[in-house]
Amino acid sequence: MTEFLQQIVNGLTLGSLYALIAVGYTVVYGIVQLINFAHGEVFMIGAFGALATWTVLFKGQHGLWVLPIMVLGAVIVSVLTAVVMERIAYRPLRGAPRLAPLITAIGISIFLQEAVRLFYPGAKSKLTFPEIEVVSGTALQVGGLTIQRAAVFTVGALAVSAVLLWFFVNRTRLGQGMQAVSQDPDTAQLMGINVNRIIVIAFALGAALAAVGGVAQGLLNSNIDFRMGFLAGLKAFTAAVLGGIGNIQGAIVGGLTLGIAESMATQFIPGQFGGSAWKDVWAFVLLILVLVFRPQGLLGARVVDRA
Amino acid sequence: MSTSTPDLTHGAGHGDHDDHVTVPLLERFPGRGSAAAWPLGLVGVLLLVGGTFLSWSYTGDVLGDLSINFYPGGVQICMIVLGLVALAFLLAHRGPLSRLGDWLDSAAAVRNLGLGAVAYMAVAIGVIAYESGGLINVNPGGWVSLVGALLLAASGLMLVSRQHKDPLFAKTTSWLEICAIIVLMALVLFGAAYALGIGDGASFVLFLMFVAAAATALAKSGVFTWIGLIAQKNRPVLMLGAFAVAFLFPFTQGGSDENMSIATQVLIFAATALGLNIVVGLAGLLDLGYIAFLGAGAYVGAVLSNSAFATIGWKPPFLVVVLVGAIFSSILGLIIGSPTLRVSGDYLAIVTLAFGEIFRFTMGNLDGNNGPDLTNGPNGVPAIPDLNFFGFDFGQPHNVAGITLGRFANYYFLLLVIAAIIIFVFVRLNNSRIGRGWVAIREDEKAAEAMGVNVFGLKLFAFAGGAFLAGMAGTVKAHHDVSVTPDQYIFLESAFLLAAIVLGGMGTVAGVLVGATILKLLPEKLRFIADYRLLIFGLVLVLMMRFRPEGIIANQRRKLEFHEDDEDLAERIEEVHLEEAEAKA
Amino acid sequence: MTVTDTPPPPATPSTVGAPILEARGVTMRFGGLTAVKDVDMTVNEGEIVGLIGPNGAGKTTFFNCLTGLYKPTEGVVTLSGQVIPPKPRAVVVAGMARTFQNIRLFANMTALENVMVGRYCRTSSMALTSILRGPKFRREEAATRARAQELLEFVGLGDSAENLARNMPYGDQRRLEIARALATDPKLILLDEPTAGMNPQETKQASDLIFRIRDSGLAVVVIEHDMRFIFNLCDRVLCLVRGEVLVQGSPGEVQSDPRVIEAYIGGGDDDEDDDPTPSLDAGTTQEEQQ
Ligand SMILES: Nc1ncnc2c1ncn2[C@@H]1O[C@H](COP(=O)(O)OP(=O)(O)O)[C@@H](O)[C@H]1O
Ligand SMILES: [Mg+2]
Repeated sequence: MTEFLQQIVNGLTLGSLYALIAVGYTVVYGIVQLINFAHGEVFMIGAFGALATWTVLFKGQHGLWVLPIMVLGAVIVSVLTAVVMERIAYRPLRGAPRLAPLITAIGISIFLQEAVRLFYPGAKSKLTFPEIEVVSGTALQVGGLTIQRAAVFTVGALAVSAVLLWFFVNRTRLGQGMQAVSQDPDTAQLMGINVNRIIVIAFALGAALAAVGGVAQGLLNSNIDFRMGFLAGLKAFTAAVLGGIGNIQGAIVGGLTLGIAESMATQFIPGQFGGSAWKDVWAFVLLILVLVFRPQGLLGARVVDRA
Repeated sequence: MSTSTPDLTHGAGHGDHDDHVTVPLLERFPGRGSAAAWPLGLVGVLLLVGGTFLSWSYTGDVLGDLSINFYPGGVQICMIVLGLVALAFLLAHRGPLSRLGDWLDSAAAVRNLGLGAVAYMAVAIGVIAYESGGLINVNPGGWVSLVGALLLAASGLMLVSRQHKDPLFAKTTSWLEICAIIVLMALVLFGAAYALGIGDGASFVLFLMFVAAAATALAKSGVFTWIGLIAQKNRPVLMLGAFAVAFLFPFTQGGSDENMSIATQVLIFAATALGLNIVVGLAGLLDLGYIAFLGAGAYVGAVLSNSAFATIGWKPPFLVVVLVGAIFSSILGLIIGSPTLRVSGDYLAIVTLAFGEIFRFTMGNLDGNNGPDLTNGPNGVPAIPDLNFFGFDFGQPHNVAGITLGRFANYYFLLLVIAAIIIFVFVRLNNSRIGRGWVAIREDEKAAEAMGVNVFGLKLFAFAGGAFLAGMAGTVKAHHDVSVTPDQYIFLESAFLLAAIVLGGMGTVAGVLVGATILKLLPEKLRFIADYRLLIFGLVLVLMMRFRPEGIIANQRRKLEFHEDDEDLAERIEEVHLEEAEAKA
Repeated sequence: MTVTDTPPPPATPSTVGAPILEARGVTMRFGGLTAVKDVDMTVNEGEIVGLIGPNGAGKTTFFNCLTGLYKPTEGVVTLSGQVIPPKPRAVVVAGMARTFQNIRLFANMTALENVMVGRYCRTSSMALTSILRGPKFRREEAATRARAQELLEFVGLGDSAENLARNMPYGDQRRLEIARALATDPKLILLDEPTAGMNPQETKQASDLIFRIRDSGLAVVVIEHDMRFIFNLCDRVLCLVRGEVLVQGSPGEVQSDPRVIEAYIGGGDDDEDDDPTPSLDAGTTQEEQQ
């Protein structure tokens, strides 16, 4: 039973991470029906942005007070990356056959990974992420369960982000503009909403959350590397589809569901095909099953003709 | 070109479609007129070529040896060739070759050749100065050629394009066309052999600049329009010529294993990319896990080989192994293709990516601890012996007509056969009922279904067929590579294959060959970019999608699909098509 | 199957034969909206049936149900006495072909290729034959080409065979779509607003073409807004309003039925979508329709 609860805890942690990234896929999809497969790299760049901020400004400092500034650094770097990417790579391809943005995304993805590998000092191998008081260090023991401190941060970050996101989407003019565009871009345009601006904001919003995810990942693993965006991005994409792509609550539900399912699979698939060696295989199997049998997701997606 | 019926007259600069009327830069300044342009060009050619016969460099160890007067090195010879081509176009503009100028945009050609020559000379002089410590070490010949290049460029910018006819309607005799194809093929063979023989990266870059300048000039002049047309008309000759060139290539290498090793790698890569082009280019399905099929073939080849590490006791003859590998691979293809019943577009691409990754993880796991022992896990199957066909040992050098052909040359010939099979299948499927079905699906899947096209069946067949061909190539690759490990089949390799297609041209054979060659050859030859290889190719994908999504050598229909709103393009392509249809009839 | 069978076989007088298509109780619901409600329709051999109704009445949706693009919520469709499954390809193979209200040609193929795609389901060379190119392949390919050319000539596009579909004028595209549908050797052809956007002269040509199709032994169902066109052309007319059959009968009967006039002119009281003017409103209907 503790075993089971422990896996729930692990799953929630993992799931919060997926959810933070998945929101980016879903928000952008909701607005432009584009699946931004380079989003995983935005997450990775966020982690590097946080590390760079720390290295440049606070090297040697481990107080909790540096964390907000690291998060801010991460968000700035990620948002910039995403906005530039939208402006120069995706925007010119609006209206092109679907193949075009997909191939572009693969190109961007590889480009960003390589750029980090080549130009971030020491990034050719794993880099140690700084330990921060309170959110790193010895795990908490609660009633027989082991809870990493970074896990608390991750779940907390998701909760805070979700509240802020809800507030933004429902209570601000921009957020309402976003909803309008997502429901009917043509009418929204006629009503004087600047659709291009809304698209940029969608990219930025997703990037900001992914950056927070990047920091969380750094704290959880104590190290980061330039490849970390690939798998995380794919899994988060699965989460977004699982929750119903285009649906923000769905992305969060999907992320948590996927995280728990993955933890359980790792723990409870018996015999030779279980355990961590097959962990990613099962994650991919799940991805395929979701895409094939539940492409509209658990909570229903904004469906467009994807033929 | 023997000209018979001047069907249609086009305005200035209507060579290539993309090339609308180009207004020469200096035309805007009347008075500086084009009267001086033509003699200026002649002087430019004279200086450019003259300079190459003088020494360019004080030291003899930069860019080959450019230090000896009256003994031009390879880098200088390129400029001689470029100068002579420019001369031909100048004479076509005005003078003895004037009849040629009736059909081609000679001014545009001179312009591009001149600008290319300037860039070339600038880089050459830069390299000489950089490598031998200062501009002081650049000898007069270099400066003379640079001035010549500048004059040529100036002349090109001042020349006003003559009114000329569309080369599309040039009626040429078939012997001339066949000669042109043969010359073209010979140039390709010679160019490839020369390029592979270049030792240093800087010379290689210069050679690429030369090729690029010449190719742009020919394209802008309209020569390629004509070549495209005669290539359509004389398809068998072209195919035969291409294979003759590929076949003769090893004989130009004097037994050097180094270049042949690169050539076999290019061939494996190209063959696989051609198989993928059936799926992506013809059927229009984005497969991001295609490398798994090559891997499946390679693993079958490995575990059924005589390697001491092979895990299966059955040792059938190699032809059986090829068949088993291909069939195993196509079964995987069927499995991977089956979701196409329910998913398409982006989701399908991700499903294939996931399948590819599952394949790799599985191969890395089946080591006896995590599942049955089939693949030795991450260590893979090493020490795969060379092939042996009826006593012909692929590991040993052989002598043919006094020329030694080493180990890689042996594999090269085998791979050539496989590539030929794949091309054959590709072309024949493309021009058949099945090919038409694929186009219809790409154009409008629902309408195709409503017109009775078996959409699911055709998609599945594309996956299985493509996988079959890759599996075949994989079995040979296992022996060629000596060892098979999971990390040879990562996602990046699939992306790399896709890049070859995107760069070269979706749905064309020649395009994929060009794309594959560029992507494999450049990092080998330009060691200094080796580490930036992936960075550059990520960028290439983005830029191609932005500026030329149909690829270098475009399939016309693909081009139309990527430019749905371009009415002029549609008109032009229809014109070309009508001309081809008429030529065929 | 081959050239020898038919393009237009000898003209037979328009005698009405046995029922060829029978739709019984076809109903199609989208969530809460019932677009087609319990519609029955019978089409006999050699008959031209008109389907009229204001915009949004469910005509196109009914066609989609017949041709398997939608799986009807309820109801059965039989063709020549056989129940046909709601799968587009099975429907074509069974002998019913269609055109689309918003032209859906293969835009980047030539006219000839478009029609050749229509032959897909009546030809059979598969992968190995296509690769090895035996005599069977060549024969079939030549027959496909010849038949396609013949059909292009039949609809009056013989000279445009090698033109790209997307470059053709609007009226030609409509005729090309008909040729493509005919290439599937149907017994029954469904035409969704074949004259939308045409000028009077083209409309006249279109009705001649439809007569010739009927004379070649096919049954035809036409959706149209243009009343004059429909009443000159059809043997029988069905009027659909809000998904239900309002009236059916001979053109004369339908034309004079006050309910029809009301449906069009008076406007369906609670259905604001209705188009008050029943003629010549080229493709002003919603976009994402089949
Ligand atoms: N796929 C669909 N989903 C939801 N509603 C649909 C769909 N297709 C058609 N409808 C609705 O069904 C009704 C009938 O439309 P349609 O058959 O196109 O009318 P008509 O062809 O007679 O003008 C319309 O209200 C339309 O909005
Ligand atoms: Mg309609």
